[in-house]
Amino acid sequence: MLNSKVMQSSRTQALLLIGPALVVYATFAIWPMIEVVFLSFQHWNGLDPQREWVGLENYQYILTKDPVFWIALRNTITWTLLAVLFPPTIGLLLALGLNEQLFGRVPMRAIYYLPVIIAPIAVATMWKWMYDPFFGLFNQVLTNIGLQAWIKDWLGDREIALYSMFVAYTWQYVGFSMVLFLAGLQSVDRSLVEAARIDGANRWQSFKHVTLPALRVTIAIVLVLSTISSLKAFDIVYGMTGGGPAQSTQMLALWAFMQSMQIFDFGRGSAISVILLLVTLTIVVPYLRWSQRDEGASE
Amino acid sequence: MAMVQVSGLRKSFGALEVVKGVSIDIRDGEFLILVGPSGCGKSTLLRMIAGLEDISGGRIEIAGRVVNALSPKERNIAMVFQNYALYPQMTVAQNMGFSLEISGMKKAEIEKKVADASEILGLNPLLQRKPSQLSGGQRQRVAMGRAIVRDPDVFLFDEPLSNLDAKLRVQMRAEIKALHQRLGSTIVYVTHDQVEAMTMADRIVVLRAGRVEQIGTPLELYDHPENMFVAGFLGSPSMNFLRGTIEGGSLLLSGGERLVLPSVPRNAGGELVVGIRPQGFAIGTQNGAKATVKVVEPTGADTHVLADIGGTEITCVVNDRVDFAAGQEIRLSISAAQVHFFDPVSEERID
Repeated sequence: MLNSKVMQSSRTQALLLIGPALVVYATFAIWPMIEVVFLSFQHWNGLDPQREWVGLENYQYILTKDPVFWIALRNTITWTLLAVLFPPTIGLLLALGLNEQLFGRVPMRAIYYLPVIIAPIAVATMWKWMYDPFFGLFNQVLTNIGLQAWIKDWLGDREIALYSMFVAYTWQYVGFSMVLFLAGLQSVDRSLVEAARIDGANRWQSFKHVTLPALRVTIAIVLVLSTISSLKAFDIVYGMTGGGPAQSTQMLALWAFMQSMQIFDFGRGSAISVILLLVTLTIVVPYLRWSQRDEGASE
Repeated sequence: MAMVQVSGLRKSFGALEVVKGVSIDIRDGEFLILVGPSGCGKSTLLRMIAGLEDISGGRIEIAGRVVNALSPKERNIAMVFQNYALYPQMTVAQNMGFSLEISGMKKAEIEKKVADASEILGLNPLLQRKPSQLSGGQRQRVAMGRAIVRDPDVFLFDEPLSNLDAKLRVQMRAEIKALHQRLGSTIVYVTHDQVEAMTMADRIVVLRAGRVEQIGTPLELYDHPENMFVAGFLGSPSMNFLRGTIEGGSLLLSGGERLVLPSVPRNAGGELVVGIRPQGFAIGTQNGAKATVKVVEPTGADTHVLADIGGTEITCVVNDRVDFAAGQEIRLSISAAQVHFFDPVSEERID
């Protein structure tokens, strides 16, 4: 009797505590998501009180008649592959370096993390200046050291614009991976490292057999978070190229935004968003299941 | 198997010197235990032999070779860590074979060596398990197996039994000793537990604050402690120390009580300290020095009586099941054939 009463009251308390957050979350996160799914089956210009139900027409259009969607999808995939490969790798190397007893490693850690806390739109603006073909830092430096032949229109050349942008993105996100890896490295058992030294392991073998296995969970977290943040890359593209030149840096998140907010075709914009959502879910859901299984195992 | 010679060894961490000129000759096949309280430098000393700590001064030779500048793997030593330090993602067999694999040994040969070692340690049914699926004692055995397969010159043990429960500790103590007798290898073993040191060692090195206090066999140290520190550190419960002056074959305590001594030192001028093991007292009601019972602790086999004699608290161990009440007055006399005398200032032994 008493027991069930206690359970009851603690359940009520829990509901009271998560209630407000749940309401806010449902209103501003869950409902818009559901709304987007509805919108993707409708035709709407954003103003018309009437929303016309058109079934799969929006999907059919973007998949068969919209060449920009395919460019955006390809760019998003390229971007995501690069974002999963480079920033985590560089971040891991930095973390390994800054985990050693180096002079000035604390300020160095702060410096590498600094870009993470800058607004992406500010990063975009800054790098846009540096990439400016006439007055930008890069071309100035190349001129000054006599490498005029290397001068490029970094953001204006369709062949390289995406990669120029990715360098800026890497600069911003390397610190994020680095901090997570640094935290992960603290969990490496010192006596295991010593045992490996006594067993005759060199630095690489010790890294492979002691450090990497200890970082397994951290690596999974970094890769999943990098995937998610790269799939929704928006601000940096919007700020640096706006998807240009000639849609060569177009990406799904930006294209969805442009369809809805600039072309005022909310149906097609929403359909792109739903596709992006599906892509994200197919990556995130397995991760969540895996991490919950891991939690269950440790109990 | 090999000799280890440590001479004038020093270690400083910044301005703090933790090992202050230690010299020990470890014989071939000897089981040597470094013992001392926390912070005495015993683990640091072991880690310097292992090559895990740099040497600030002095010299270490293993099998006649100066190893000061050699990396751990070049020293041909094996170490068993307090927390076992098993690679969590590897099976027992992989853990044991890891060093051999790294050294490029052939697979068949590794398997044979691992099989031999696991046979000795009774690990055969566990070879395919991961460390997380093993009990503390089993992990400890795997850690020893990892050391055995390498056939090292010297085995180093860093408080290997500290993480085990009391019962298992006694069992593993016997196993390690049996293992030593079987392999005949040189072992350097660090512990803070004097019982471990007494029961397992061929010789014990007692360390305090980075210096060697005494080196000797367990019984040498027990019977002839060089100073009050060694006398108090070995033996359980600890030795009792009573201050007083010698007067006609008796110890005259400051409170006026007298204890008849079995022997007196040759030159006993002035105040000195007499060390008496807890087992060296007889408790009676008629003859002897007056004392007051404070606590009685029956352990089953014997009884510990904490008593106050002339303001000094002492522990007596008696075999009888005595029934004293706290505050009761008793009479104490010395039954031991041997007591120890120390200088009250230098704390050194007086013969």
